[in-house]
Amino acid sequence: MGKTKKALVFVLLSLLIAAPLFANGASESGDDVVTIRFEQFSGSDGTGSGEALRQMIAVFEEQNPDIKVELQTIGYDDYFTQLQSKVVGQNTADVFELNYENFVSYASQGVLADISGYLGDTSGFNQTALEAFNYNGIQYGVPNSFSNCVLFYNKDLFDQAGVAYPTDDWTWSDVETASKQIMSALGEGIWGFYRPLTFNEFYKGVAQNGGALMNEDGSAFTVNTPENVETAEIMAGWQIDSHIMPTEAEMGGMGDWDLFKSGRLAMLVTGVWAFTDFSANCSFDWDITIEPGNTAKATHFFSNGYVVSADSEHKEEATRLAQFLAGSSEASAIRVAASWELPPVTYEDVLSSYLEMTPPENREAVFESLDYLVPPPVVVQQAEMSAIIDSYLQQILYGSMSAQEALDACQAELESKISL
Amino acid sequence: MAVKGRSGIRRALPFLLPSLAGGLLFSLLPIIISLFLSLTDWTGMTPISLNPVSFLPFIADNFTGFDNFKTILTTSEFWTVLSHNLYFIVLYLPLMLIFSMTCALIIGSRRHGSQVYRVLYYIPVLTSWVAGALIWKWLLSPVYGPVNNFLAIFGIEGPMWLQSEVWAMPSIVLASVWKDMGFYGMILLGGLKAINPEYYEAAGIDGADRCQIFFRITLPLLSSVIFYVVMLSLINAFQLFPQVMVMTTNAGPNGATEVMVERIYKYAFRFGKMGYAAAFSWLLFIVIMIFTLFQKLGERRFVSYDN
Amino acid sequence: MTIRKCLQSIAFHILAVMISVIALVPFLWMISTSLKSSGALLAVPIQWIPEEPTLQAYVRLFSLTGILRSIVNSFIVTAGAVVFTLASSSLAAFALSKIEFRGREGVFMLFIASMMLPSQVLFIPLYLIMNNLGLVNNLIAIILPYLFQAFAVFMLRQQMMSIPDTYLDAAAIDGAGLLRSFITVFLPMCRTALVTLAIIISMNAWNDYLMPLVILTSSENYTLPIILNSLSGQFKTGYDLLMAGSLVSIAPLLVVYIVFQRYFASGLQVGGIKG
Repeated sequence: MGKTKKALVFVLLSLLIAAPLFANGASESGDDVVTIRFEQFSGSDGTGSGEALRQMIAVFEEQNPDIKVELQTIGYDDYFTQLQSKVVGQNTADVFELNYENFVSYASQGVLADISGYLGDTSGFNQTALEAFNYNGIQYGVPNSFSNCVLFYNKDLFDQAGVAYPTDDWTWSDVETASKQIMSALGEGIWGFYRPLTFNEFYKGVAQNGGALMNEDGSAFTVNTPENVETAEIMAGWQIDSHIMPTEAEMGGMGDWDLFKSGRLAMLVTGVWAFTDFSANCSFDWDITIEPGNTAKATHFFSNGYVVSADSEHKEEATRLAQFLAGSSEASAIRVAASWELPPVTYEDVLSSYLEMTPPENREAVFESLDYLVPPPVVVQQAEMSAIIDSYLQQILYGSMSAQEALDACQAELESKISL
Repeated sequence: MAVKGRSGIRRALPFLLPSLAGGLLFSLLPIIISLFLSLTDWTGMTPISLNPVSFLPFIADNFTGFDNFKTILTTSEFWTVLSHNLYFIVLYLPLMLIFSMTCALIIGSRRHGSQVYRVLYYIPVLTSWVAGALIWKWLLSPVYGPVNNFLAIFGIEGPMWLQSEVWAMPSIVLASVWKDMGFYGMILLGGLKAINPEYYEAAGIDGADRCQIFFRITLPLLSSVIFYVVMLSLINAFQLFPQVMVMTTNAGPNGATEVMVERIYKYAFRFGKMGYAAAFSWLLFIVIMIFTLFQKLGERRFVSYDN
Repeated sequence: MTIRKCLQSIAFHILAVMISVIALVPFLWMISTSLKSSGALLAVPIQWIPEEPTLQAYVRLFSLTGILRSIVNSFIVTAGAVVFTLASSSLAAFALSKIEFRGREGVFMLFIASMMLPSQVLFIPLYLIMNNLGLVNNLIAIILPYLFQAFAVFMLRQQMMSIPDTYLDAAAIDGAGLLRSFITVFLPMCRTALVTLAIIISMNAWNDYLMPLVILTSSENYTLPIILNSLSGQFKTGYDLLMAGSLVSIAPLLVVYIVFQRYFASGLQVGGIKG
């Protein structure tokens, strides 16, 4: 009993001592210095990009002595949950980060500030990426990075099997033929190709087969057209018919990157953000090329951008920060040096230093792929739409529905649940 | 008998006050707000204020009556997801009770080492689900995982676990039992320690063996604690969530591990349908309430109080 | 007889050790991963003992900005939560088990019912309330909700119900006597339950994450989980750092648990008094 009491007294005392810490820490550091709250997910200490971001902010604060930046980094998993809560409570940071897929959802809710009036010269930006953050003719944000997907291939496996390396003009059937040759030459445990049947890969696959998930003006879904059904059949077939790609069960919980790094996968479609990891952890030669299509070429587009809160009291300063971090040559140089995705800029010196780095030798493919960009269909109910499509694609893989049945049902569910 | 009389509430109130005040402000008020929200089609992505002058018009503007409830009850999703929860509970509850009871008995015995076990068994409870889920994904990995390699020693070909529609939920159950056994074991231990040793002495004199003692004395005297553990674990099992999110991305193969709270979370924070999510929660509330009432009836029938 | 006892003892320890292995394997693996140089999580074959163990992850962890401050904040939040929960819940449990008044069962059922609504849907309303109270970016906002812990009231009430009323009659002639007998008789007799609760609550408060993330907006108020969570990236996660972080955050809980777990043993005598 005595000890419990003592412990209790100790706890209460320490609380008392700590009480001043509860006081609200809103200390103004000077009359003319503005504090800008900045929340983001892409610069993370878990991956080394956090340090690069802090360097950029330091340079910015040096150039803008009237602005102090308060950075909060939030893990990607919970980023949008906390952001949504802050939006509801009107307590968002002055500048925050959105990915392209979520951008429209927020822009349509009127919680973002129109920054066109505060933006300086935007000619240094890659215009495709800049336009991604324009909604209904209003510029709500600036892109801070963008990425695309390319075809990665293991040169050693191709050499061992005596198969020629993939080129820019390869199509799906070339991939299938090469995969079969490699798999029969090298035997068990080696896989030819990996490209899962998920929403992201499917919308792109649809475009590579001359189709689309929505009509031109985005007023109706066109999920179950004959060419889309064919796309789903071919893509599912890689796993269940030609079997050049392992099924989810055969992967056994291993990730696609791990499979490639272990040297047992010949070709992989994935994002260029894999460069750092593959350079460090692959014990074989590898290279990239523009990813193959069927009747057309199409590549994926990912982008993160910085936006300014509609509630911000310092929109001009906030925009200045966003534009500096996203598009200045200083920040872009830091970004490239840290191998932190691709800066959405057109500065020659920045881009040439990006291109000089190897592997992969064919780094130009990253930029050549941009000629075939197809942005994903973006609607207000983005996440729900992709979840619905994903669930039907799984039905095809698990054999519970044919491609035709699944896409018919998918079309019906999208029409009833997603308002356009 | 306890303190009686008309002045009861006056005497009880000072004791109840801190808890009631906290409950009104931080539990009841949010519950009422969520009830209002369940009658709207609010996205959960626009600013609102709790000031009644603006809150009530806001509800009126977005008011859709019982539409959310009707939609949920008429789509198959609710029932599928509910069946997943029930499947989880049917597998989880007996396993969890056996393991946590074993833990409690081991820790509660006065043999050497029981103190060490007491520390060891609680470590999973202290481990976060993020770390716990990663390790379970690896343990259950079909080809390289230690579990299937272990089964292979006995010539058993292990299942695909998290990658299989059939085994995904049992995998979640295993991980959950691992995480929870120490927690409920500790509560059961509290009950074990409260049993008057005189009962055991009497039984020892009568020459009862261990098995008889456990089933004739320990279990009946522990029944109130066991019911408490069952009630608590039922409430928690219906709200099964973090392990599903971290162990099976996209709710498992072909949606095999889609469960109630996982849906609620997605509707509230991913699909921009806060009103729908609130209605979903209220339906979950009713389901849990029904189960708890049944459980209470059972308690009245089976539990023997020591007093 | 002694051979039988010996066999029983062996069987007991085999079972106990098997459960220990189940409980411990993941934990050991966490330690091992945190010491790996590249943190290749699913490397084949698995490395149980890292080939080149390194403390690099821990060095990086403790060089994160604000990590020490966040540990202090987490301690404050945890201590506050435990004190608030134990004080308010034991008082309420006492009233709900030992003072008869009309509607007692109803009040109790309300407490229980409050556990049945998933916290995910109450999250935004609760945040709005804190916002309205002007408690945003204030550690108090994280601690205050611990005043009401239905589960703690439930658990303590269960415990108090098993204490005979005879202990009350002798002491509780007036209101002051009621409080006195609560403090001098009932609290000590619930010591096991109180320690158990303290451990559970400190675990919850220490790991509490989503609400602090939304409420606390400036770095000097961050708690440890906020810093640890910022380590998971959009496309990949540094597992060595994640595991090192998880271990660092478990360590204080484990120490608290080891220090206090012996109170379970002393619960034995408390049980012995009653009958």
